[in-house]
Amino acid sequence: MADSSLRKFYGWFTALGLLVGGLVVLGYYKDEDREWKDYQRKFIQEETRRASTPPQRAFAQNMPVQIRQILLPDLNRVDRCTTCHLAVDDPSYGGYPQPLAYHPLHEQHPAERFGCTVCHRGQGRATDAADAHGNVPHWDEPMLPLRYIQASCGKCHEAADNPAAPELARGQQVFEESGCRGCHKLGGTGGVIGPALDKIGARHSPEWLKQHFLTPATVTPGSAMPPQRFAEPDLEAITLFMLSQTGETAPGYYTSMKVIPSAGVGQRLFEQKGCIGCHSIAGKGGTIGPSLDDVGLRRSPEWMIQHFREPKAVSPGTVMPQFGFTEDEARALTDFLVHLREQQVTMSLPSAMTPVERGHEAYRKYGCAGCHGPDGKGGVPNPNSKTAELVPDLMHVAEGYTKDELKDRILKGQHEITALDPKRPPPPLYMPGWAGTIKDAEVDDLVEYLFSLKPKGEESGF
Amino acid sequence: MNGSLPKRIWKWFEHTRVGRSIFRVGLPQSNLERAQAMVSSFLLHVQPAKVNRHSLRASYSLGLGLISLYLFLILIVTGVLLMFYYVPSTDHAYNDMKDLQFVVSAGLLMRNMHRWAAHLMVIFVLLHMCRVFYTGAYKRPREFNWVLGIGLFLLTLGLSFTGYLLPWDQLAFWAITVGTNIAAYAPYIGPSLKYLMLGGNVVGQEALIRFYALHVIVLPAVAGFLIAVHLWRVRKDGGLSRPDEPGDVVQQVELSQLPTSKTYGLMELARGTTPQVGRNPEEEVFSWPHLIFRELLLFLFVVVVVLLLAIFKNAPLEELANPIHPPNPAKAPWYFLGLQELVSYSAFWGGVVVPGVLVAALVLLPYVDGKRRGVGRWFARERLVANTIFTVCLVVAVVLTIIGTLFRGPNWSWQEPWKKPPTATEGH
Repeated sequence: MADSSLRKFYGWFTALGLLVGGLVVLGYYKDEDREWKDYQRKFIQEETRRASTPPQRAFAQNMPVQIRQILLPDLNRVDRCTTCHLAVDDPSYGGYPQPLAYHPLHEQHPAERFGCTVCHRGQGRATDAADAHGNVPHWDEPMLPLRYIQASCGKCHEAADNPAAPELARGQQVFEESGCRGCHKLGGTGGVIGPALDKIGARHSPEWLKQHFLTPATVTPGSAMPPQRFAEPDLEAITLFMLSQTGETAPGYYTSMKVIPSAGVGQRLFEQKGCIGCHSIAGKGGTIGPSLDDVGLRRSPEWMIQHFREPKAVSPGTVMPQFGFTEDEARALTDFLVHLREQQVTMSLPSAMTPVERGHEAYRKYGCAGCHGPDGKGGVPNPNSKTAELVPDLMHVAEGYTKDELKDRILKGQHEITALDPKRPPPPLYMPGWAGTIKDAEVDDLVEYLFSLKPKGEESGF
Repeated sequence: MNGSLPKRIWKWFEHTRVGRSIFRVGLPQSNLERAQAMVSSFLLHVQPAKVNRHSLRASYSLGLGLISLYLFLILIVTGVLLMFYYVPSTDHAYNDMKDLQFVVSAGLLMRNMHRWAAHLMVIFVLLHMCRVFYTGAYKRPREFNWVLGIGLFLLTLGLSFTGYLLPWDQLAFWAITVGTNIAAYAPYIGPSLKYLMLGGNVVGQEALIRFYALHVIVLPAVAGFLIAVHLWRVRKDGGLSRPDEPGDVVQQVELSQLPTSKTYGLMELARGTTPQVGRNPEEEVFSWPHLIFRELLLFLFVVVVVLLLAIFKNAPLEELANPIHPPNPAKAPWYFLGLQELVSYSAFWGGVVVPGVLVAALVLLPYVDGKRRGVGRWFARERLVANTIFTVCLVVAVVLTIIGTLFRGPNWSWQEPWKKPPTATEGH
């Protein structure tokens, strides 16, 4: 009974045992077989080839094949990109094909503090190309095409401040001038007809955004947004600006690095600190301190920085207070003052502007142009609205409203737009109420501006 | 001395003092040693020294209970390995999944094995239950073991459900959100039950830590204990159920009828269908090797299947859990999709009454259907009515699950899986 009836068992045990063993080996081999190991071996070969002395050669040959990673706990990231991109910090690899190419690193963005994915996106934890570059299912952050890399600057820096990202600044300009804020909130300012855009760049690809600008309804069925007619460079620029809006906030260390000392920052500081109360620009402002129109010719930048640091040290007996500017802020203000003459910035200092000018500024700021057209000239379609299927222009509001009525209209809005044909869907665009968003003084200025739109030479009344 | 080299080395080892001290019997050569091998080994003594031929018939049991047990063992081993890496925190859990995949040696393989073994276990425990039903094996004296089995089935679902949340991806987050919402439909206690499970009103850190504790210690410990009782009762009831044979009259000893003035030997107290010495000796074979070898082969087979699945198919992992972006439709784990489908018709009837009645009916079944007819045979004619009712319930449950899994698209609308779903309103 024993051995003969057991023989068939032995066959099965052998077969299944070998199968289990084979599968364990296969599973382990599959796990060990990773593409980054090939890249590291090739890198070691290349380093060995380049080595000119025996110690260098020994060093290259003894380089361990292992995962390399940059730990970024503040950013909640682990970037393992350097596991394959082994020579990013070695200029002698300039011009090499990927993954061994050199990355010209900015000294302001050291790799050990910034990693890679915070700008390039992708999946930092991944260790194979497809997953790491992020064009895989269930990963929301594929690599940003290099074409749009400036968008990443805008995650931390003010778009307008960054001389290294001109296209981003252009994108912001297109955004503000096209009246996007009439319907969309960004950073808390804007209308409520469309969705807020604060995280738009984290959710959508460049292709989606571009398609959406040109024909909104094809990617978002039922969208009320009028198709935008951007020239190609403007379309690219505003797409880039949208991509920069990811809603991420930079923690501690990174916040302290945000300010780029530039004329833009200097101008904002100049406005915030009330410099115009004592100094004048183009004849507007106070007279306690000297006029600043040609200060760039009179003083050197070094003098100015020293002056901001400690006014009395370079200008004994001055009454200018010590504002306690940081080094970057002092440099930014200096930058602003040095370039004052070329930039014609005086016009945008609110305290130096007329009510109509400030009103025009408010018209731009709140994106009124998005629906009412640049300078209130109209022309934006609003299908099935009784006003010729267009959002009405604002050239003649001075004839139909008193100033108080117009102010009331801006604050309360008009939610029901009369339809041309009641059977068709109601007009998608309407006038939102701006109360709570717009400041009272701004409404007054805006009304002044709108009243100023009435073409010259036309008499009111008929 | 004959045999292959490994065998000779083994023979030499088991005769050394160390070998004797560990194995006591060694590879059995005689029937006496075969019996001793079973009785003297801790791991083997759960099983009898001799076993009825009927219990060995693969066509009868299909090995479904054993397969479930093996899957449970695989789950414990792979689960402990995963615990070395997994941190049950909403900040870490998802990243740990990524690290398992990208930097931990064989991490993905372990996770895959765990995932697929878990799904298989749900399936095989259910199949085991069907086998026991269709062979009438839950009848006297095995009524309570059937009830324990129902408990183990529910524990299996609970283990799978609690494990489902741990990767903390979109799939996990919304499946548990939907699953616990179904629980909230229970009258009176529903909302409190949901609150108790989640430690809050929504799935978050508290829910994650609760599910983790349940998944890695509470439920496995309870399941392990119940499995031990379940197996022990199988042995005490004389192995697997089998048809009554002529002359196989079971003598029931009622303890209350025995005079208490006498001291009893163990054999006198043995009751039920425990195999008795001298009864049908030609039907009994030694467990070593006839039972043990079959069990080991089946174990190897299960390992092969789980390894194959784990090597060639990765466990799903979606985007990081995002409480403000629900997928459409959000679906419970697949084994609850029949329920979710029912809930889509009526929350109360589908979410409470039907599952409640089903579980109650399963528990009460051996006490309602108590006559010992048609035991030990598949689809016995005497049990036509019971089998028909059970089959109808089973088919309905399977069909509902398939509909819920494959045929439901956005907003739970009908959606044939071979047709492309309508484009989402927001996408990439």
